[in-house]
Amino acid sequence: MLAYIARRILSTIPVMLVVAFVVFSMLILSPGDPAAVIAGDQATPEDVERIRAALGLDRPFFVQFAEFLWRLVNFDLGTSIFTNLPVTHMIAQRIEPTVALMVLTILFSVTIAVPMGVIAAWKAGSWIDRAVMVFAVLGFSVPVFVIGYLLAYIFALELDWLPVQGYTPIARGFWPFLENLILPTIALGSVYIALIARITRATMLEVLAQDYIRTAKAKGLGTRPILFLHALKNAAVPISTVVGIGIALLIGGAVVTESVFAIPGLGRLTVDAILRRDYPVIQGVVLLFSFVYVLVNLMIDLLYTVFDPRIRY
Amino acid sequence: MAERLLEVEDLRTHFRTIDGTVRAVDGVSFHIASGETLAVVGESGCGKSVTSMSILRLIQEPPGKITGSVRFKGRDLLKLSEKEMRDIRGNEISMIFQEPMTSLNPVLTVGRQIGETLKLHQGMDDKAAEARAIEMLELVHIPEARRRVKEYPHQLSGGMRQRVMIAMALACNPQLLIADEPTTALDVTIQAQILELMGELKSKVGAAILLITHDLGVVAEMAERIVVMYAGRKVEEARAADLFGSPRHPYTQGLLGAVPKLGSSLEGRGRTRLSEIPGIVPNLKRPIEGCAFASRCPNVTDLCRKVAPGVELKAPGHFVACHHAPREAIAA
Repeated sequence: MLAYIARRILSTIPVMLVVAFVVFSMLILSPGDPAAVIAGDQATPEDVERIRAALGLDRPFFVQFAEFLWRLVNFDLGTSIFTNLPVTHMIAQRIEPTVALMVLTILFSVTIAVPMGVIAAWKAGSWIDRAVMVFAVLGFSVPVFVIGYLLAYIFALELDWLPVQGYTPIARGFWPFLENLILPTIALGSVYIALIARITRATMLEVLAQDYIRTAKAKGLGTRPILFLHALKNAAVPISTVVGIGIALLIGGAVVTESVFAIPGLGRLTVDAILRRDYPVIQGVVLLFSFVYVLVNLMIDLLYTVFDPRIRY
Repeated sequence: MAERLLEVEDLRTHFRTIDGTVRAVDGVSFHIASGETLAVVGESGCGKSVTSMSILRLIQEPPGKITGSVRFKGRDLLKLSEKEMRDIRGNEISMIFQEPMTSLNPVLTVGRQIGETLKLHQGMDDKAAEARAIEMLELVHIPEARRRVKEYPHQLSGGMRQRVMIAMALACNPQLLIADEPTTALDVTIQAQILELMGELKSKVGAAILLITHDLGVVAEMAERIVVMYAGRKVEEARAADLFGSPRHPYTQGLLGAVPKLGSSLEGRGRTRLSEIPGIVPNLKRPIEGCAFASRCPNVTDLCRKVAPGVELKAPGHFVACHHAPREAIAA
């Protein structure tokens, strides 16, 4: 088991290397010349050339890439072209709201979606089942920003229950912090809930038809232990897989949600960086997101062994 | 005569499907005395498994519908609430199934699955339940019970898993054990071991057994009385010796004739001739007029095609549903 964990952690290195390569290539492949952007409209070709040399953009591709990797290993993501601040510093400033939003959304979505899917499967064909499925289809098909604006309109502007937008750091009290995140969490969670509820329902339907569920009934067990212990533990592997894969969905959604609710997180940082062609920042954020995604899915792989004793590495 | 533990009367289990109602069990009656072993025999699809599931009400309702009465110690199980039924399942009546490979939950330890019943019905705590689970594993002759109790089903062989199923079923000392094809999925040598174990435990625990099987060898080994089912109906009921010695229903005769004996073949003559029953089981989606066996019976007459024969006493303790079965003079 320990050997497996070590092997899996090592195997993430080539994955991250590929990610780094793609991220780095963006700089070369994307339209527009960063040196020209920094130099501004009034610059002469000589100015642009000078800036390009200063940034090392005139050297061969692989030399640049090797340097880029070397800096990565030393946790140096470069310096923002726009603010002249280290990218790590900028990320550190913006990371709290995004982490808070993501963690809250994952917790909220899993607690809502799994019971929803379980009950839908148990009552398959009933009105509860149909209601859950309708909700799931809506969650999939209505874009995050529409849900976000709708929620803000109803609960903030009309009912005045919650703040319209903004973010309060957790250091300034838990309630003000939470108050600001409720609507963004629901907006961002809607797609994720729909995804998890659907997969939970489908997997549970399959599990509930198994012989061992009949055995559990023949033992006199009630509905709750049958559903949430005997059946759900068997359905846990596919469900957790989707929870992990869905993180990608959340990352994309976070960028939009942060814009809608004016949350100063990584999503906003990314949008701003893209608009300014601030390549080092874009690279840094994309690398960080990829790293988190790889890490979460590694953790879920290891979680499989907790759910299913037949899986041994 | 011993007290009647279970009395099934006019049991009908019908399933509503898109193209008509399937009459899986259609008016079956039998009883089991305390400590007795009754076998229900018949070919696949004759309704014997549905009968056993109906007793514990493990049939999905709807599409299933169970009518008639199932009296267990005087109480009609079909009239109990789901909650009262749960107190009986696994406690007073327990069940073992045909497929030991799939009937145990793959993600829970053997000990937990046995202990669960004890915690539920006898209010034991975790520790007591585990200790009792180990005891039960020893009772069903699983070596190294202390280690096995922490293992998962996939770490056990088929025979071992069926032993675990038996341990689980007997943990609460039930008065009735329903065994639905308990040996069908096992190797012949393992079958013998499981049968021996069931016989041994029956005398130790004192439970009555309702044995559902299509295997006449198993029946001969275990049962005191036998009910033969065909197309959802009971066609014959007798003590094991009487049924094997002088089967009276043409279907039972066919069934016994179809059991291969040493040296028998389709070309043989007399005792060594291996007979087959021509035709197939009638479609249960259409109501059967007359005798269900009429289309395959060698002695069929017009009467059989029109009127369904009732189950009648044809010899002491020997009931047959056939217009043409000979009746013996029964001493008063």
